[in-house]
Amino acid sequence: MGIIADKIAITRHRLSYFPEVVVLISFSLLFLFFSFFAPHFLTALSIGNILTFGSITGIIVIGVGILMISGEFDLSVGSNFALSSYVLALSINGGIPVIPAIFMAIIVSTFLGFVNGWIVTRTSIPSFIATLGTMLAYRGIVRAVGGGNFASYKGEDIPLFKILNGDFILLNSWFQVQAFRTSMIWFALLAVIFIIILMRTRFGNWVFAVGGLSAAARAQGVNVNYVKVMCFTITGFLVAIASVLQFSHRLSVDPLRGDGIEMIAVAASAIGGIRLTGGFGTITGAILGVFLLQMLDQGLVLMGIPIQVFQACIGLIIIISVISNTYLGRSS
Amino acid sequence: MVENKIEQRRNSLVWMENISKKFGTITALQGVNFGVKKGEVRALVGDNGAGKSTLIKVLMGVHKPTTGQIYFNGNPVSINSPKEAREIGIEAVYQDLALVNLMSISRNFFLGREMEKKVGPMGFLDIKAMDTICRKSLHEIGIEIRSAAERVGSLSGGERQSIAIGRGVYFGAKVLILDEPTSALSVAETRKVLSYIENARERQLAVIFITHNVHHVYMVADSYTIIRQGRCVGTYLKGELSEDDIADLITGDREE
Repeated sequence: MGIIADKIAITRHRLSYFPEVVVLISFSLLFLFFSFFAPHFLTALSIGNILTFGSITGIIVIGVGILMISGEFDLSVGSNFALSSYVLALSINGGIPVIPAIFMAIIVSTFLGFVNGWIVTRTSIPSFIATLGTMLAYRGIVRAVGGGNFASYKGEDIPLFKILNGDFILLNSWFQVQAFRTSMIWFALLAVIFIIILMRTRFGNWVFAVGGLSAAARAQGVNVNYVKVMCFTITGFLVAIASVLQFSHRLSVDPLRGDGIEMIAVAASAIGGIRLTGGFGTITGAILGVFLLQMLDQGLVLMGIPIQVFQACIGLIIIISVISNTYLGRSS
Repeated sequence: MVENKIEQRRNSLVWMENISKKFGTITALQGVNFGVKKGEVRALVGDNGAGKSTLIKVLMGVHKPTTGQIYFNGNPVSINSPKEAREIGIEAVYQDLALVNLMSISRNFFLGREMEKKVGPMGFLDIKAMDTICRKSLHEIGIEIRSAAERVGSLSGGERQSIAIGRGVYFGAKVLILDEPTSALSVAETRKVLSYIENARERQLAVIFITHNVHHVYMVADSYTIIRQGRCVGTYLKGELSEDDIADLITGDREE
């Protein structure tokens, strides 16, 4: 018995170095399950849809994941997402050329991310509350500006939008489907860039330190508030990118756009092995979390299971994942 | 007895003269004189709330003294942040706050002073070099680690203290401030940490050892400064007082 217990302890300790272990296992199991039981799941159309829809959420999750590693939350990403889309839509409809309009959307959202960070670091109130406040405030602005109406772009085709989020012709013609979109390229690019920033730069090291034990980071001369404000700002920036990409595809936005995305983002990060108290986790894990949720959504639809079940499943998966992650994490 | 003020100012590596600190109407420190020489282990002892931490925070630039002057190498200096303190060579190791448990030894070792490889304008962490140097420099002061990639959380309290001390030594600290470095450790681990402190003294570092329990410091201290209720009770050389004498002075059971 002693030997077995030792073996378990050693394995647990080794696995605790890989935050993605749990999500990798649950992702694989779910994938196998749907491959067998969901009709048409293993088709280019279905996989393409998962990747395409997961990419937009995934871009936001990169930001939310980094922020959670730094020990903070941003519940305002959904509202900020809608606001950014409105800035873009109303600017273009107001006659502003596309590129400046995109820049405006990015600047506004990035600034709102910065505002979140500024409030949190200046007042020292928990980011959960601060961004709950800005979530309502930003959504309020959207609804005041947008009223009850969609803001749609009905002008002539914009070539830039085709590059940002058009048909991914190479893959679509290869697989003979209309499912893959170019947004997944931008998502992959951003994922790689931010994984490198997090794992291989000084700033990334500070993010982990600030989330792990901010007092220790401060004692080593790390500017804790700077790191936090930067993480909030990065999140705002990525939210803007996601909204620009989505608008490039859909060409419209409604006042409730992005509602609930903050919860999906937190869920994906938690499932992906990011500690809710900060200091531990990877972007790769959070991204796997996003695609797990997207796959769940798609798989259940293909199986003809009502959408309400989706929510229940998310709930269950979050709890099981966090229990498993905590079990592994404690071994250190 | 110890030298007079002017001699101390001249001979100490760091010398805090006549330091007072008020927080609103509360007086935390009142005319405290305190310092440490090169190659000396100076114990700063006092009961909880006596003002030890406040005094050290003044030295580290966390608090600005209400009155008083700090001298480094005999020259007046003004220290406005922990960063400035570190730049002139004052390094503090706080109990429980020294290292981030969830990060690796080498990432902790280089935290805030990471080594970079430049690729064009971008700087990337040189993890290989950091791991190697971390291992080597800890080895040089007698600290053996299994792997620099190991998480700090899986180390014992003594190993963590040692690594924090080793880090200070490696980065060229001239003054090492240790806040209760042994109070949470086993006897064997305490002995080890004390040996690293002796090692630091041999390297001519000035060590300030803060504790509320004189027993922890009696084996290594060259001199003691006792503070009580924000005032300096006195500074004594090793051998001038017994352990019991010092304990009595800390609690105020005996007046000077």
